Amino acid sequence: MNNFAIARPDSYEAASAMTRDRTYKLAVLKAGGVDLLDHLKGGLIDPDVLIDVRRVREAGAKDPVGISGGVIRVEAGATLAEIARSDELLRAAPVLGQAAGDAASPQVRNAATVAGNLLQRPRCWYYRNAQFPCLKKGGSTCFAVEGENRYHAIFGPGPCHIVHPSNMAPALLVGDAVVHLTGSGRKELPLSELYHMPDKGVMSENNLEAGEVVTHITCRPMPNSAFYAIKEKQSFDWPVAAAAVAVELNGATITSARVVAAAVAPVPWWLPNVEAALKGVDVANDEALRKACAIAAEGAKPMTDNGYKVKMLPVAVRRAVLRSAGRPTEVES
Amino acid sequence: MKADTAPAIPAGPFAIPTDMPTLNRPMNLGQSIDDNTSRLDGIAKITGAARYSSDMILPNSLYARFVRCPFGAANLESFDDTEALKVDGVIEIDIQPKECQYDGQPVGHVAATSPMAVDRAMRALNLKWKKLPVKTQITDTVKQEVPQGEVSGADVTFAAVYSTPVQTHSSLETHGGVVDHRGDKATVYASTQGTSSVRDGFGDALGLKQSDFEVVCEYVGGGFGSKLGGPGKELMLAAKLSQKFKRPAYVMCNRWEEHLDTGNRPSSMTSVKLGLKKDGSVVGGEIRTWGGTGVGRGGGGVAIPSGRYDFQGVDKKHNDVSFNGGGPRPFRAPGHPQAVFAEELMLDEAAALIGMDPLTIRRKLLKDDVYREMMEMGARLIGWNERKPTGSQKTAMRIGYGIGTGGWGSASPGGSAEVVIHQDGSVESRTGTQDIGTGQRTSMGICTASAIGIPLSLVTVQIGRSTLPPGPGSGGSVTSPTTAPTMMAAAEAAKKKLLEHVARQANEKAEDLSVKDGQVLRRGEKFLSWKDACSKLTAEGVTGSASTGEGGRGASQGVQFMKVVVDCETGIVHPRHVIAIQSCGRVICRKTAESQIIGGVIQGISYGMFENKILDRNTGAMVNPNLEWYKVLGPNDMPHIEPVLWWHGQTGVKALGEPPNIPTAGALACAVYNAVGSPVRHLPLTPDKVLAALEGAAS
Ligand SMILES: Cc1cc2nc3c(=O)[nH]c(=O)nc-3n(C[C@H](O)[C@H](O)[C@H](O)COP(=O)(O)OP(=O)(O)OC[C@H]3O[C@@H](n4cnc5c(N)ncnc54)[C@H](O)[C@@H]3O)c2cc1C
Repeated sequence: MNNFAIARPDSYEAASAMTRDRTYKLAVLKAGGVDLLDHLKGGLIDPDVLIDVRRVREAGAKDPVGISGGVIRVEAGATLAEIARSDELLRAAPVLGQAAGDAASPQVRNAATVAGNLLQRPRCWYYRNAQFPCLKKGGSTCFAVEGENRYHAIFGPGPCHIVHPSNMAPALLVGDAVVHLTGSGRKELPLSELYHMPDKGVMSENNLEAGEVVTHITCRPMPNSAFYAIKEKQSFDWPVAAAAVAVELNGATITSARVVAAAVAPVPWWLPNVEAALKGVDVANDEALRKACAIAAEGAKPMTDNGYKVKMLPVAVRRAVLRSAGRPTEVES
Repeated sequence: MKADTAPAIPAGPFAIPTDMPTLNRPMNLGQSIDDNTSRLDGIAKITGAARYSSDMILPNSLYARFVRCPFGAANLESFDDTEALKVDGVIEIDIQPKECQYDGQPVGHVAATSPMAVDRAMRALNLKWKKLPVKTQITDTVKQEVPQGEVSGADVTFAAVYSTPVQTHSSLETHGGVVDHRGDKATVYASTQGTSSVRDGFGDALGLKQSDFEVVCEYVGGGFGSKLGGPGKELMLAAKLSQKFKRPAYVMCNRWEEHLDTGNRPSSMTSVKLGLKKDGSVVGGEIRTWGGTGVGRGGGGVAIPSGRYDFQGVDKKHNDVSFNGGGPRPFRAPGHPQAVFAEELMLDEAAALIGMDPLTIRRKLLKDDVYREMMEMGARLIGWNERKPTGSQKTAMRIGYGIGTGGWGSASPGGSAEVVIHQDGSVESRTGTQDIGTGQRTSMGICTASAIGIPLSLVTVQIGRSTLPPGPGSGGSVTSPTTAPTMMAAAEAAKKKLLEHVARQANEKAEDLSVKDGQVLRRGEKFLSWKDACSKLTAEGVTGSASTGEGGRGASQGVQFMKVVVDCETGIVHPRHVIAIQSCGRVICRKTAESQIIGGVIQGISYGMFENKILDRNTGAMVNPNLEWYKVLGPNDMPHIEPVLWWHGQTGVKALGEPPNIPTAGALACAVYNAVGSPVRHLPLTPDKVLAALEGAAS
């Protein structure tokens, strides 16, 4: 990597202004730096200044996470560890703490922030290897198509087949999260509009404009919510399929459900068909629940080596539903 | 299941007592020379005080790295180092274009005044590679075919094909070191399993006599076989650069290079046809094995049949198969784990064909009673009678049990040691071996203290220097079997000299004197304190030396039982409990011995479940040259591992380094088969394969 300067603005507005400073060739925001450092070391980007927003807090924001007036608010700089250990969140939106606590390792979670988590780049091993001029680097080939694609996407038309790496995105999406911004005209963006599919622009995954900085994220409480990740390794590994679920219950009957899958598509993947099928399902009725979840992978187009994800996804969804309704999954019982 | 009574950890890192007992394995107590001593260098290691060769950042150093081929096969057609040479700090760029045959093959090097400058120059090199067609695995050359036909005279014929992936050693401290050439003298800081072999391997490369340079290796961050055999290309480059530029040269691989070009356990494919009688006896068949040795020559052997089972009339053929990958190096019991995986799973599958329990068929076919005895014990400890017949479980979470065996034999190469007793009563034990993580420093200290009869606290151990009496390389699990008796003999010799000296001065007979618990005794009665006795020595003290020549082949045996829970909806395997019985003869230090067994099991499970060097099928580039996608077992995947030190009827210090890594993957595969009802014949046991096996079982 090349030498770079570190700037420490004291507000997000100042940080945004710095990204426009023309004295630098490439200015990037740094939060925990987990993903950024990987990019620097891998020779994927070559910034000459890092704008460190790790310790910036919005005026008035005291705690990294909080609930007031029926709204959950997570500061951009809240770490995954802080989210995972918040008792308040555990009651109001268990999916958030579970998604945060399930990611990576304790060391990573202590550094990783929620904004960085939402905006981290994919882990695709062709993208991360500077030797492969893949589509994301301006090349003309997705090497996964004919190559090693066991961890790639089963949904989406391509041309790039990454899976979106974030645990927090699906977890926040089921709570209809809104991303709050500074630096451009817009003040907020629904999280559901943050990402785009590769066919709408393959060089990036999100729709932020240059100079836009995330200040905080809000979502609604979802006391009946859960995250379930299937991981090859139970320590320090990425999910191969995961689901975030928020349900509303009348007794044991699901009256409405929000279901977003992770690790299966280039963006957090809504499963509206499962949401519809879950309506009216009694969570104690194993057969009905299985039936509703079985369609989770409908429409999937697995690649040569990742067909197993088609079998896993319904399991992840069903277990997340069970967990969201406070019922044990097979693993716990 | 967790250790039942873990001792409370006292506050503060420096408060950890060195004799902290581990209480969870009482059956192992009382048979070792030392039951409770913890590693003498444990605290230095966990606090970072221990300085590894990779920590040797000397003033005014230069740093170098190899320029490497990024593809499985490619021709370096051109390069332009104009820009690279302009990078601030660059000292030398040397590139020899050639056709390369594996990802990571060096074509030259860049040297600079900082690692960053090396990196920048590397990126500015403008290398133009022309990619060539690649082969990336055994099956690109040899078709995977299940052998056909019946074995004559058999009631049933069983046939199948098994395979294992390439495993990289993944040592935490990478390969390489530092050479500090000062014109007429040099010091070499090596990360090695053979301090003496590094010295010998330099030949003329340093332009110095062996007496004018020293190889130092105080600590090694893992090697597992890959750091045997001389200086290696990293230290050779460092030697050249340090000599040429008259400043220390630092050459250590980064993680990426470590995966690509420092050796591996080769992949394997094993096809078997086995003819059995209904009573479980084997009447014939054939075993064919292939070893995926990449560009390496040899080293792909698969140790099946192991010889532990009576396979009458089974023929064996082996071929190494080349492809575009880095070559193998010895790896913790070369040829064995891959063989045991195939052999044990094959036995379980064949047993199922004739409706026999895995334990019963093994009891029948084993040649050596010691394995039978170990199996009785292991079956009892794991709760084998709880095992359900293979394929009988229908629940989502299924429990499986499996057995693996391992045998090992190696000959001691001999070595020498020295013990110095000083005038102040302190004692130094000196031998030029190295501690690759096994606890060598600790066991040398224990050998010295116990042979003399003094507390360990009086002993300082010196290892890891080529100027010490030469010790063996740490390979073949011979280090303790070689150095323990040698060190004990040296200690005895030093003690003898001390007692003779004391006897002369006190007008006693040396035969009447002895040492016990830090006291010199006369005819069994207290005579002098150790300190007083030593104070009678001259300033040089006394030195006892011993050398042992090549020894005979020692044999050791092991049996492991594995209990797993398989999540049959996700295909995830959760190892839960391992009983690892290992013959160990005379144990020097119980805790390091147990730790060695536990480490072997951990590495074996990691091999069985996760590890896999994945080469891109089109370019031959390794897609996972990191520890993120080259997956290695983590704490949450760790079962409760119970090492059992088996000494019944055995004498001498036995090999413990490699043997406990042999049975594990086999036991794991059998346990998964038992739970799932259909075998996974290809390692690693990732969920995609377990799910596919489940579909096979269902159909
Ligand atoms: C081995 C490993 C395993 C992992 N496993 C998981 C996992 O299972 N699940 C999971 O979700 N994650 C996982 N992670 C990823 C980790 O959680 C992310 O890398 C981390 O959350 C990134 O956060 P950060 O604060 O370090 O971001 P940084 O690296 O600092 O930044 C990432 C990106 O976000 C931008 N950015 C940061 N803050 C802002 C802001 N306020 N406004 C606008 N842009 C901003 C940066 O410019 C940069 O582009 C894993 C990481 C590793 C190394």
